[in-house]
Amino acid sequence: MSTTVAAPAPGKSKLWKPPIVGIITFVLMFVGVGLAHTMMVLIEHNLGRETTLAVSPLLGFIGIVMLWYGVKSKNENFQTWIGFFAGIIVWMCWVEFFYMWYGRMNWGMLPRMDGADGLRVSGTWPEYMIMGSTVGTLLMMLCFYTFDKDTRCNMFLWFQDRLGLREGLGPTTKTAKDRNYAIITFMETFFVTWFCYAWNLLTFDPGLVGQGDLFVAVNLASVFIATIWAGFCFTRLIQFKRTSTALRYAIPVGNIAWVNIEILEKFDMMNAIWVDPWSYTLEMSVIFGAFVVLIGLLVIAPKKPSEVGGRVGVAE
Amino acid sequence: MRALLGSVLLMAAGSAVADRLTMPRGMGGVPDIGAIPCSVFNQMLVVAPFGTRHSLVTWSAGYVQARSGKSLQEAVTAAGGTSGGWTYDRIAGDLEAFCAANPGAVTGDAAASVAKALQVAQKSP
Repeated sequence: MSTTVAAPAPGKSKLWKPPIVGIITFVLMFVGVGLAHTMMVLIEHNLGRETTLAVSPLLGFIGIVMLWYGVKSKNENFQTWIGFFAGIIVWMCWVEFFYMWYGRMNWGMLPRMDGADGLRVSGTWPEYMIMGSTVGTLLMMLCFYTFDKDTRCNMFLWFQDRLGLREGLGPTTKTAKDRNYAIITFMETFFVTWFCYAWNLLTFDPGLVGQGDLFVAVNLASVFIATIWAGFCFTRLIQFKRTSTALRYAIPVGNIAWVNIEILEKFDMMNAIWVDPWSYTLEMSVIFGAFVVLIGLLVIAPKKPSEVGGRVGVAE
Repeated sequence: MRALLGSVLLMAAGSAVADRLTMPRGMGGVPDIGAIPCSVFNQMLVVAPFGTRHSLVTWSAGYVQARSGKSLQEAVTAAGGTSGGWTYDRIAGDLEAFCAANPGAVTGDAAASVAKALQVAQKSP
């Protein structure tokens, strides 16, 4: 994997040019969110809940070992893939499964109920009630990136511009060659997932928005914002030529677009087939097959020399 | 006339909703764990096993107290104590097993079943 160089170069390929690279990476990341849910359900089902929760801290170390391997690589494309999958694994094992153990077992919490008679188990299970309470920690951590002069994330650069921070922070001390994309993608995956979860959980929280008109209004506003935000980012994504850069950019785009899916599900306008793979075996198999094919396409896609070890600069 | 009838029906529906006990906003669970269908209890157990069964254990403790005048601990002690097999897990497990076997029943029936197994006598009036 460390020497994935395919010819022709992206600039000369008739297929691997805008908007194909952006579209494929977006679909991959969008579908990937649903499949990550499926993976969690399958792990819990196959290992059994108690075993899953007991071994999840150890399973999380698999992600860290992957990250360690990726950080040592000089191949940006490989680093990006490893960072993404390590981020997903650590999020699932060290956050979701661990919160699950705390909420469902250790603290003995109860799920939120909804429905006209208040007797329907809602999707806000104990682990998600805990997760909603982490929003302050999340915002505090995001402050680091807001005030970090070396961040390259467009959203934080936008904030820095609007807050007049650029002059005070001074020029970045890092070049593209100094950046390790394994840890960058790892942190990006983790924080984007956390942010989008918090977004949905806060707008679903009856303690904050009730269950009436305000709840509907806030969530319709969420759909509006998520669609505009993801749509705007998508228009930028489809201009990307480098698969590694597109992959990293597609992580937030896919996740922000997925905010809409969670809201549609909450409004009973969508059936969450990704958390019930046994009832939708054919459908989920097709989606998983498409996901694997997309990964394969991106792995064999022609790369610029800077993506596969010969970094001379990472301009898009 | 139709408008009047509609208004009356709307007011009646609003009154019915207003009369129903609801949980404080944001909290999980139900207002009365002893009066829900076992099928709902079984679904709650899937995503929140410990909290759900503890809720019904505490409801059952109240049931035992109301029926016999004894606390759950006193009832357990009278039935042989934890060394006689009446542990917390046994009580919770019996409640779960009842509802699993009788999804059409209400959870209060599960509490009654455990009280019967504990040989809790009706207190004298």
